[in-house]
Amino acid sequence: MTAINTDFGKDLSKYGAFDFNACYNCGTCTAVCTLSTEEDSFPREMQRFSVLGLEDDLKGSLKPWLCYYCGQCTTYCPQNANPGELMMSLRRWLISVYDWTGLSGLLYKSLPATTAGMILIAAVVLFYSFSVDFDLSRIMHTGHTFEIIAIVGVFSIILLPNLIRMWWFIILKPRIQVPVINYLKALWDLIVHMFTQKRALGCDDNELRWFEHFILVLGYLGLLFTTVFLNWFSSDSVFVIVMGYIVSIIVFTVTLIFVYDRIRKKDEISKYSQPSDWLFIIWLTAMGLSAFIVRLFIDTGLLENNKWLYLVHLIILAQWALIIVPFGKWTHFLYRSFAMYFHRVIS
Amino acid sequence: MKKKLGVYICHCGGNISDYIDVEKVRAAIENEEGVFLAKTTMFACSDATQKEMVQDIETNDLDGLVVASCSPKLHLITFRAVTERAQLNKYNYVHANIREQGSWAHSDDKEGATEKAVQLVKAAVAKVRLSKSLEPIKIPSKKAVVIIGAGIAGMRAAIELAHMGCPVTLIERDHFTGGRVAQWDILFTSDQTGREIVSRLYNEINNSKNITLLTGAEVISNKGSIGNFRLQVKIKPRYIKDHFDDDKLKKVIAVCPVEVPDEYNFNVTNRKAIYQNPGQYPKYPVIDIKNCTRCGECEKVCDNIDFSLKEEVIEVEAGSILVATGFDPYIPQDGEFGYNEIDNVITLPQFKRLIDLCHNDLLFNGKAIKSIAYIYCVGSRQSEGENKYCSRYCCTSAIHTSIQVKKNFKNVKNFHFTRGIRTYGKQELLYYESQKDGDIYLQSYEENPLMVSTENGKICVKINDILTGNREISVEPDLVVLVTGIVPRSDTSISQIFKLPGGRDRFFNEIHPKLRPVETVIDGITIAGTCQGPKNVTESLNSGLSAATKSFSLVNKGELELEPIIAEIDKNKCTWCGECEKACPFDAIRMVKQGDKDVAAINNSVCKGCGMCLPVCPVNAINLISYSDKEIESMIDSLAGKG
Ligand code: SF4
Ligand code: SF4
Ligand code: SF4
Ligand code: SF4
Repeated sequence: MTAINTDFGKDLSKYGAFDFNACYNCGTCTAVCTLSTEEDSFPREMQRFSVLGLEDDLKGSLKPWLCYYCGQCTTYCPQNANPGELMMSLRRWLISVYDWTGLSGLLYKSLPATTAGMILIAAVVLFYSFSVDFDLSRIMHTGHTFEIIAIVGVFSIILLPNLIRMWWFIILKPRIQVPVINYLKALWDLIVHMFTQKRALGCDDNELRWFEHFILVLGYLGLLFTTVFLNWFSSDSVFVIVMGYIVSIIVFTVTLIFVYDRIRKKDEISKYSQPSDWLFIIWLTAMGLSAFIVRLFIDTGLLENNKWLYLVHLIILAQWALIIVPFGKWTHFLYRSFAMYFHRVIS
Repeated sequence: MKKKLGVYICHCGGNISDYIDVEKVRAAIENEEGVFLAKTTMFACSDATQKEMVQDIETNDLDGLVVASCSPKLHLITFRAVTERAQLNKYNYVHANIREQGSWAHSDDKEGATEKAVQLVKAAVAKVRLSKSLEPIKIPSKKAVVIIGAGIAGMRAAIELAHMGCPVTLIERDHFTGGRVAQWDILFTSDQTGREIVSRLYNEINNSKNITLLTGAEVISNKGSIGNFRLQVKIKPRYIKDHFDDDKLKKVIAVCPVEVPDEYNFNVTNRKAIYQNPGQYPKYPVIDIKNCTRCGECEKVCDNIDFSLKEEVIEVEAGSILVATGFDPYIPQDGEFGYNEIDNVITLPQFKRLIDLCHNDLLFNGKAIKSIAYIYCVGSRQSEGENKYCSRYCCTSAIHTSIQVKKNFKNVKNFHFTRGIRTYGKQELLYYESQKDGDIYLQSYEENPLMVSTENGKICVKINDILTGNREISVEPDLVVLVTGIVPRSDTSISQIFKLPGGRDRFFNEIHPKLRPVETVIDGITIAGTCQGPKNVTESLNSGLSAATKSFSLVNKGELELEPIIAEIDKNKCTWCGECEKACPFDAIRMVKQGDKDVAAINNSVCKGCGMCLPVCPVNAINLISYSDKEIESMIDSLAGKG
C-alpha cells in the first residue's frame, strides 16, 4: 500500500519543474515520445509518480535518464503540464539523490550557495597567488598539479561513491537479481554511450544537436587530455600546441552555439534554463576561451606581462573542477552513461 | 365516395427512384377506381410541384389527393397545406410512405420494393376514396399558466411569462422560494451566490403584476385538461399575521424551546420550530406546526403569532401547466462508503452548507479539517442499481467546492477519488485550475470500488488507482465527502394527479429530447428544470425559459385547434361496461347520463386518437374518426391484393 506525499512536488519544483500537477493523465506525451517503449513507458508515469510523490519509485527509476529532452511531449501536452521539463528536473533531483555529500541538492536549489562556493574558490586561488608573490611559473606549475589531483580526487571521493549509490538505488535496493556476466556484457554499451550518446539519435529531428554534442564531448575530452596529460601550456611540441588550439576552439564555439540557442529559446530544450544550465555552459565556454587565449599569449610572449589572464583561467578551472564537475550539470554526462549501462545490465 | 383523385409519385432525387420503378407504380395505379390523374415528379415537396398540385386540384376539381413520397413525419403537413391552398379540406389528403418503408428498407430488392410501393399507393387510394372532410376541434384556452415549483427554473419561467403579458400563478409547496439554489453560496461561473440569484428573481416576481405567488401551497387535484385546467390548491398558514421586523424575529426565535434538525442545512445544524432562513424569501417567518408544541412562549413576546389561522383550499384555473418540481439529493444508504457508520463521512450538500457556516477555521464535530477525500459518483452511474444516469452537476460542484475550501481556509489538502471526471464545457477550466493548484485526482472503475474504513481511529480511504497502474494507494483524510448525485422527487403526487409519466430514469419524460424537449405526452403540460433530469443551474434556467415559451404558445390565442382524429362513441350501441375508461391512457373517457341510460363520453380536448379503447369495447361502439373500420378494411384489402 502506498501513501501520497504532496510535499514532494514542492521540493521538485525547486529543481525547475513547474505546472506538472496540471497533468490529467491523457498519455499524449508517452504516445508522442519516440524513446518511450512498451517496457519503458514514459513520461506520463513519471508525471504521475511525481504528482503523488512516490519517491522510492522515482529513486530506483532509470526512466528520467532515458529521456534526451527533445521536448515533443511538452509541445503536445494539452494541459501545458511540461512533461519534458519535469523529466529534466527529475534528472537534477536524481543527481542530488545519488550524491552522498548533499551538496548537489544544495547547489541546484540555492543560487546564493552556488555563488558563495564560486567566490570562495576564486578567493583561495587569489590568496595562494598572493602568497607566492604572483610568481607565474610557480602558479602555472601548481595549476597543473592541481588539475591532476582534482581529477583523481573528485572521481574517487565523490563520483565513484555516488555511482555506487546509484547502483544501490537501482539494483540492490529493489532486489533485482542480475547475473554477474551481465555487468561485463554491458560494458561496451557504457563506452559507446559515454562517447557518442547515440540514443539521442532516436529523437526526431535531432541529428544536428546530436552532432554538436558529439563534437563537444570529443573537444572537451581532447582539451582535458592535452592540458593535463600533455601539459599543453608548457609543451614545446608543435603537434601538442596545434592540437590544443583545435580542441579549445571546438569547445568554445560549440558552447557558444548552445548559449545562443538558450537565449533564443526556440526549441523546447532551450526554453527553460535553470542557473545550473547557464553555469555549465558559460563555464565551459570560458574554459575553452581562456585556455585558448593563455596559450596564444604564451606563443606571442605576452603572458609574462598579463599574469592576470592565467589567474582568470585558473579560477575558472578550479570552479569547474570543484563545483560543476562533481555536483553540477557535468555529472549528467556520467550518470546518463551509467544509467544506460545499468539499463542494459538489468534488461 | 370520392371520384376524382390526384396521385403523385415522387422520385425523391434518386432516393426512391434508384430502387423503385416509379413509372411502373404510376402505370399500376392510374386505372384504380376513382383515380383521375397520376403523375410522377422529381421532388414532390419542391415549390414548383406544390404549385402544380394546387393547379391540378383547382382546374380538375379533384376531391382527394395522395402523394407517395417520404415519411409523413417529414411532409404530411406540407401536402395537407397544398390541399388547403386549393380550397380542398386537408383531411382529404392521404400520405403513402414509399421511401422509409419502401426504397430504403428494400434497397437490396428492387422488384420487391416496386411491388410493395404499388400496394402502399393502392392502399392510400383506397383510404382517400372513403375520406371525409373534417374540421379541427376548437377549444377555448384560458390565458393563464400555473407553474408548480418556485425553484429557479419555475421562478425564471414565471418572470418570462409575465413579461409576455401572461397571468401566472406560481405555486410553491415550501414556505420559501428558491429551492436548492437558495441553499448555495458562490456558484460557478457567475461567482454570484445562489442566494443573490434567488433574491433577484424573487424581487422581480414581487414587482410583477402578472404573477401570483402562493407559498406553502400544494396542488391536491385537477379537474380539467389542456386549455382549462382547474386545480385545487391547499394553502397552509404560516401562523404569523402582518409583517414584523428582524429584532422581534430574533426574540421569538430565542424563546422557542423546540429544536429540530434544519433541512435547509441538510441537518448539519438545528433550527427552532419558528424559523426564517437567511437566504430565503419571502422574508417572513413560519411556524413549523408539526414540531411546534404549542407551549405559547412565542405568543408571550410577539403579538403577530396567530394559531387560529386555518388551512384553505382554493381553485386556480389555467390553460397550461408548467411543472418545475426539482429533485431530491441522493441520500447514501447506511454503510455506503461509511455513511452513517463512520464519523466524519458527509455528503456534498452537507459539506457545502458546512463551509458556508464555518468562518475562520474549517471545523466538523469540533475537529479541525485539514485533508479532505471526495468520493465521486455516489448514487449515480450505477450499472446495477436504479440510478444509471450521470448526475451531471456533481463533478463540477465538487471541484468548485474544493477550490472554494482552499480559498477560504488555509492549508487544506484535497484528494479526489473519481470514476472519470465529467466537467463538460467551460467547467473544464475549474478542473484545470484545481489540478494546477495541486489537488490530487485518483480514479477507479465501478467494478473495483474504493474502500472507506477506520484504522486506529483514523479514516482510511484505499483505492486501486488505475492512473498509477492499479496500485493500491491510501489516504488518511480528516473528512470524507460523498459527492452525491440527484434523484427524482420521492413525493410523486404531481405525477399521480396529472398522470405524468416518468422515463427509465424515473424523472419526468419529455416527448423528444431534441425535437420537443419541454412538452409531455399530457397535452398542455410542460416540464422544466431538474424534475426532467439532472441539470446545472444554467441548464435549469434555460429549460425554464423554453417551457415558458411553449406554455405561452398554448394559451396566448385564447383558443386551441386540436386534431379531429379522435374516438367517437355510438351512444345507442354503448352499454356502459366501463372497459374503455380503464383502457384509456389519457383519462379521456367518462360516464355520462343519456336520458336514463349510462353511456361513455369522450373528452375531445384530451383524447389523442390513440385507439386503445377500440378493441376493448365488446359491442363495437367506438369509432376512430378517419380510421373507421371501413377505411382500414379497404386498405387491408388493397394491401392484400384484393382491391
Ligand atoms: S500529455 Fe500532459 S496531460 Fe497528458 S499525460 Fe502527458 S503530461 Fe499529462
Ligand atoms: S522530452 Fe522527448 S525524450 Fe524526453 S520524455 Fe519528452 S518526448 Fe520523450
Ligand atoms: S457529474 Fe461526475 S460525480 Fe456526478 S455522476 Fe457524473 S461523473 Fe459522477
Ligand atoms: S367499452 Fe364500449 S360499451 Fe363499454 S363503455 Fe366504452 S363504449 Fe360503452
